[in-house]
Amino acid sequence: MTHETAHAGELRIPSTHAWSRLPALGAGLAAVGGLLLLAFGRSSERLMAAWLVAFLFFLTIALGCLFFVLIHTAMAGSWGIVVRRVAENAAATVPLFALLFIPVALNLHALYHWSDPEAVAHDALLRWKEPYLNESFFLARAAFYFVVWSGIALWARGLSRRQDLAADPVANGRLRRYSAALLVPLSLTVTFAAFDWIMSLAPHWYSTIFGVYAFAGGFVAGIALLTIVAVGLRGAGLLPSITTEHLHDLGKLLFAFTVFWAYIAFSQFFLIWYGNIPEETVFFLARLQGGFKLVTIALAVGHFGVPFFFLMPRAIKRNPATLVAAALWLLAMHYVDVYWLVIPSIHGLGARPGLVDVAALATVGGVFLAGFGWLLVKSPLVPAYDPRLSESLAFENV
Amino acid sequence: MTLFAVLCALTFPGIHVGRIWVAYWLAPVPNQMGVWPNFRSPLLWDVFAVSIYGTVSLLFWYVGLIPDLATQRDRSTTKIKQWIYGAFALCWRGSQRHWQHYEVAYLVLAGLSPPLVLSVHSIVSMAFAVSQLPGWHTTIFPPYFVAGAIFSGFAMVITLMVICRKAFGLEQVITMRHLDYMAKVILATGMMVGYAYSLEFFIAWYSGNPAEVYVFVNRATGDYAWAYWTMISCNVLVPQLFWFKKLRESLVALFVISIFVNIGMWFERFVIIVTSLHHDFLPSSWDYFRPTIWDVACLVGSFGLFLTLFCLFVRFVPMVATAEVKTVLPQADPHHGSAAGPGAPPPVPALPAGERFGLLAEFTTPAVLYRACESVRDAGYSRWDAHTPFPVHGLDRAMGLRRSKLPWVVFVLAMGGAAGGFALQSWVHSVAYPSVLSGKPFFAWPAYIPVTFELGVLGGALGAVFGILAFNKLPRHHHPLFASTSFERASDDRFFISIESRDPRFDASATPELLRQAGASRLEWLTA
Repeated sequence: MTHETAHAGELRIPSTHAWSRLPALGAGLAAVGGLLLLAFGRSSERLMAAWLVAFLFFLTIALGCLFFVLIHTAMAGSWGIVVRRVAENAAATVPLFALLFIPVALNLHALYHWSDPEAVAHDALLRWKEPYLNESFFLARAAFYFVVWSGIALWARGLSRRQDLAADPVANGRLRRYSAALLVPLSLTVTFAAFDWIMSLAPHWYSTIFGVYAFAGGFVAGIALLTIVAVGLRGAGLLPSITTEHLHDLGKLLFAFTVFWAYIAFSQFFLIWYGNIPEETVFFLARLQGGFKLVTIALAVGHFGVPFFFLMPRAIKRNPATLVAAALWLLAMHYVDVYWLVIPSIHGLGARPGLVDVAALATVGGVFLAGFGWLLVKSPLVPAYDPRLSESLAFENV
Repeated sequence: MTLFAVLCALTFPGIHVGRIWVAYWLAPVPNQMGVWPNFRSPLLWDVFAVSIYGTVSLLFWYVGLIPDLATQRDRSTTKIKQWIYGAFALCWRGSQRHWQHYEVAYLVLAGLSPPLVLSVHSIVSMAFAVSQLPGWHTTIFPPYFVAGAIFSGFAMVITLMVICRKAFGLEQVITMRHLDYMAKVILATGMMVGYAYSLEFFIAWYSGNPAEVYVFVNRATGDYAWAYWTMISCNVLVPQLFWFKKLRESLVALFVISIFVNIGMWFERFVIIVTSLHHDFLPSSWDYFRPTIWDVACLVGSFGLFLTLFCLFVRFVPMVATAEVKTVLPQADPHHGSAAGPGAPPPVPALPAGERFGLLAEFTTPAVLYRACESVRDAGYSRWDAHTPFPVHGLDRAMGLRRSKLPWVVFVLAMGGAAGGFALQSWVHSVAYPSVLSGKPFFAWPAYIPVTFELGVLGGALGAVFGILAFNKLPRHHHPLFASTSFERASDDRFFISIESRDPRFDASATPELLRQAGASRLEWLTA
């Protein structure tokens, strides 16, 4: 085992390697996507809806990775240290999302019913909610969320990097102590962001578990991304320190949180179904009619049923090919989930996705990949001076 | 602790069903009245959830106890004790082949238990949340109740552990590090409970529903504000003290804070139940609830029941999972320490007259045993076994054992249980006894999920337990190995290999020689 004593610079992506092209690939994708959007974006509502879905899809992944970093560090975990750097880099793309939010901020009327003064004037409920659901407070909150998220993500990544550059063990203690505390503002901001950006699309509707639901979906998707990148880097020979044991653990996390997501999703559905109160059931009625019914069924079967049985066997979790297949599937299902959350709440939009959704995905995804890729290339892939790294490398499952 | 808590909890439905002697009417069995229970009701989900929880906890607890009961049996001083412990130990003899299935089953049970905990307390929360009552009907209830349950459960464990480890001298086994971790779990789950409180409050305002808004304003400022603020102080404020390492390391602080947490959680249930009921939709039923002396007596009585059961437990049953603790000690690692046997190989005892069962060899450390097992495996023996006080890591490989098939049994029975449960409910409500209740359709599949899930878990747990018994061919009333006096230490601190004379490669002189060379410290012939 020479990795832990090796020079931190050895575990980087060489500039000649295919993986170092990731930022350029991302930028290219974003450019193509952007052009397509400008060309095809007809209805402002449809365009903004597609943008919002793509934006939320990638943002929840970045936030899921941030949760992973904080939770793993707060629990003084050691198995995940070899993949932690990948998660830190994904999380550190959050400031980019502040820029990607600007189109939403400039087009509130296309998406949010409550931002229309005409509608508010005729609706008692919207008037009641006006102290919270008004443009200036909404935008101020959005800015606040991005400040908090960027602060936490950059702080975590910064301290982790300090460990590399100065072989500084103090950084580690600080990371651990504050990670736990920082989970509080992170959970609250993610919850209220979910309320603001997704739940208020249907401003008469409410659900106390909604923040947890958003977290659950994002966490699964974050682990899925982590898995795909980890296996990819390992396969390319860039991260040999990732063993089958680590893959097994990533697989177990994917399995466990898929079940957790299903638990939260079912809780929300079941309680609203059983109580049968019209002001709550509207949410599900919209998603059980017409084309959306298929999407709902696809979500239940695809986001829970299939992965539950697929990820159960030990052998599947220990095989990189099957594990990556499961992770890719879950990423796709997370997109379906976000689509299912957003589109039915915006009146007049049909269930069928179109080119505009692909274009939005390409644009937002391209920016995300470009940022993530750039961060990945810039720093060592493994926190070589983390005192628990050797524990992580020697980790063995039952 | 969990079993005793379930028993205490069960006394209350036992009282409030009214006629406990016909409590079996809750069970879905054909009866002379031609009726079936209503699976669309959370009260019935509760019946299934709590009884399955009690059953699986009992099985999990018992399975964990078997190796320790074997130790008790081998160390008993009186015949009666030996008999009783022996009966419950099911003829457990530390066989590695048995440990292999045991380890898998234990892992399965441990894997089934968290979903069980989550589902049981979610179902309890649903009894409130599926209603339409403001303050009860809110989607966050399931994870909120689960977090609350873990919160108060860990607090109770700390309360008991602080006392027990001191009283029984277990400070080296239940260390300050364990208490530190438990305190952190309390902090984390307390924050989750606090998160739920804040969200309920915010969403109540956000909803704009006057009844909803009223309930929360009333909780904080109305007749029961004293209960509400007690709850907030004990559940949200007090646990924050655990951010400070000094307090997590102070036994007094741990004890006091854990008691406050349990007081807070009691008040949380009081607040939820009483504040939403005392001022609900029907003005004629608005009133101030005052508990009577009987309510208080029942509560105090339940504490008494719990403590009595707990004291009985620590008196008669091993409090610490001795076999499990041994497994994680550094000396238990077969790759730790020297694999060399004793200085001089032991003498080979004379062959006994009569029918021989086989040869028993004793070893002093897992490392020597490991090497010895490899030698025996490589020599081609098949009717042999290793006997250890705890499962030695990697010994399966050293013995050449194939992976246990137990997980398949568990999976099939779990799926069977779930499918059977769903089928039963569907049949009852669509075919056998269709009833129109609270506007629910006949085929109310979402309402069938809780019982389906519980029966699935039950199936899996029964599969694990009966799987162990079947694969290990236990219980047995006797085994030739017990004739050996030195074998008593197999459940304590010595390791054995037994090779049966029925094995095709068995040879009266070669077999003892192999074991002598492999590092045995003692050899003994066994008769059938």
